[in-house]
Amino acid sequence: MKNLNRYGYVFIAPFWIIFLVFSIYPVLLTFYYSFTNYSGSGEAQVVGLANYKRLLTDTYFVEAFFNTWKIWGVNFALQIGLALILAMIFSDMRMKLKGLAFFRSIFYLPNLITISSVALLFGILLDWQHGSLNMMLMKLGIISDPINWLNEPTTAQLSVSLILTWMWFGHSFIVVMAGVSGISKDYYEAALIDGANRWQTFSKITIPLLKPILLYIMITSLIGGLQLFDLPMLLTDGIGSPDGSLNTMVLYLYNQAFKYNNYGYAAAVAYGLFVITLIFSAFIFKGMYGKERKQPRQV
Amino acid sequence: MKKMISMFLSLVLIVGLFAGCSSDQKTSGSSKKKADLKIWSFTDELKKPIKTFEEKNGVTVELTIVPIADYPTKLKPVLESGVGAPDVFTGEIAFLKQWVDAGYWENLSKKPYNADEISDKYVPYVYALGKDKDGNVRALSWQTTPGGIYYKRSLAKEVLGTDDPAQVGEMMGSMDKVFEVAEKMKEKGYSMFPDEGSIRWFAQGDNPQPWVNEKNELQLTEEKIAYMDYSKQLREKGYTALAPEWSPSWFEAMDKPVKVKENGKEKETEVFSYVLPTWGLHSVLKTNVKDLVGDWAVTSGPSPYFWGGTWLGVYNKSENKELAYKFVKMMTQDDEFLTSWSKETGDVLSYLPVTDAIKDDFSDKFLGGQNNYQFFLDQSSKITPGIVTKYDQQLDTLYGNAVQQYVTGKKSKDAAIKEFYQKAQNAYPDLKVPKK
Repeated sequence: MKNLNRYGYVFIAPFWIIFLVFSIYPVLLTFYYSFTNYSGSGEAQVVGLANYKRLLTDTYFVEAFFNTWKIWGVNFALQIGLALILAMIFSDMRMKLKGLAFFRSIFYLPNLITISSVALLFGILLDWQHGSLNMMLMKLGIISDPINWLNEPTTAQLSVSLILTWMWFGHSFIVVMAGVSGISKDYYEAALIDGANRWQTFSKITIPLLKPILLYIMITSLIGGLQLFDLPMLLTDGIGSPDGSLNTMVLYLYNQAFKYNNYGYAAAVAYGLFVITLIFSAFIFKGMYGKERKQPRQV
Repeated sequence: MKKMISMFLSLVLIVGLFAGCSSDQKTSGSSKKKADLKIWSFTDELKKPIKTFEEKNGVTVELTIVPIADYPTKLKPVLESGVGAPDVFTGEIAFLKQWVDAGYWENLSKKPYNADEISDKYVPYVYALGKDKDGNVRALSWQTTPGGIYYKRSLAKEVLGTDDPAQVGEMMGSMDKVFEVAEKMKEKGYSMFPDEGSIRWFAQGDNPQPWVNEKNELQLTEEKIAYMDYSKQLREKGYTALAPEWSPSWFEAMDKPVKVKENGKEKETEVFSYVLPTWGLHSVLKTNVKDLVGDWAVTSGPSPYFWGGTWLGVYNKSENKELAYKFVKMMTQDDEFLTSWSKETGDVLSYLPVTDAIKDDFSDKFLGGQNNYQFFLDQSSKITPGIVTKYDQQLDTLYGNAVQQYVTGKKSKDAAIKEFYQKAQNAYPDLKVPKK
């Protein structure tokens, strides 16, 4: 019999060629640039570790690091909280809510709007003097002076967090619901018979069994969150105003490369970001799975 | 049924994807035949001139339009590699200086172009901007984009007693005089400007200096520091309608009174004037004003300034330089074409032989019959050439940020300046920044 194995390589070749040219090559080129003072045109000169040295002492990068965490953290807590509460409501056997498919689409819709439209929309809603939000709050008598949402560091960061939550809770909800529907009904029926209340059912059955799903959401959200760029770029002047509060790591990278033409330094920032993402993903992974692995030994 | 719907939806998505790809790059001219000349730009402005050029010379031209936000990032790799590169491409003021020095544009001072011979036929500052650091001409422009202050005639008559542009301009001849007018406006319940950002074009005062000098030193002049205080005063004295540039209320205030809320009070006010350049008339005011057409006029502010502008030149690795320069020549030196172009669009030209011939019989209905053409030409001749640097766009943004911090009271003046220095140093590590 003829060995047909080698044809397998032909079939996977297209993927590898594209992957090598469009992923691996740029990644390696960026790594090279991170050791140079490349300015986007002309020749690049190797400067050794200068870019990395600068990165470690760069207060603006540190600021960007914390901003990114603040914005992502608030957004993630709200997003996952909201998704879990909704999942709890929709999976409750006592409530028997109808129209899950309908709500699922409604919740997911914000995610389908392009980010620039979202930024434009919220730019108008959050407008200082004529924004709908301020008008509403003033009519209700909650505030007497309009709040300049995008001009105060705290409210600007909060606005971005909330917009992200609005965009992404539907996505998390769908994933969580998929996880919930994978849990056998037997557990819930048993819990019902044993007289467990809603909170007990949720915390003792749903959450532990959802762990892999929650881990997945957390890691994807973290990677996406650390790359936060488009909203901060579009909502204010693109360099992180007000007072650097919307200066995120990728926005900083972008500005260094494409606005200030410091391609070499920007490449170093990119690798800094890569290392940070790697470390935190490892932490989450360990935190979620580390304990589980120990359990069998205890039994 | 569900399957049908999902199939239909995915089809729509796929089609949308492809539609998105194809509408990215609009091309004119026949696609079957290979175009004789390729041009890249960031607006559709050149469409008509290209048509004229095609008819005149019997050639086909392919125009590629890339939105301004992506323009430099898309054009740069093409120019670096030369693959699929245009023969002619335009450059915007924001990155012009960088590009003339990068050497992508052909040296037009050389033979056979000899662009130096026509130097005195152009508005000086426009011509100077197209030169590289060695003084060679790399790009030319057909337009000049000086600015002025557009104001509402009815308010001027009521408050200042006259709506004559010359007299109103006289009343706003310096920053202190502008504040006098602003005070009078306030007494009648009007706002001088939409917001304090309006006066940034007058920041250099009567001492125009480049942001970065020949010794690579960052220069923050006394005048620019004084501008911080002017901005703060505008806000504190309530001379504005708190409507930042390009915000919905900024547009709204052009045509009708707007509501301003501050310190628990709400007042209705009309904005007296907008600080905008030549193109502001056609693409901002005219497109947003409906009721007050004819009630506007334009005059000079405390100092002359310009805002924006498009230059074009020949790609230095083009294989079709002769035809390419022919197009550049038509856009910048052709009397017949430029005359008809200017009359049609109202674009203020930088080519003096044509402007001298046509400037006297212009009048704009929107401006109550004023000859804005003459006005803008006068302004453009007063602009100091050679103070634009490749750093301007970014440093202006960074400085504007610092001023904003000071105006809103978040930082003291010194702290704001210090932060500006730090950020400038961070953006441009090679600059010599004052240590303060």
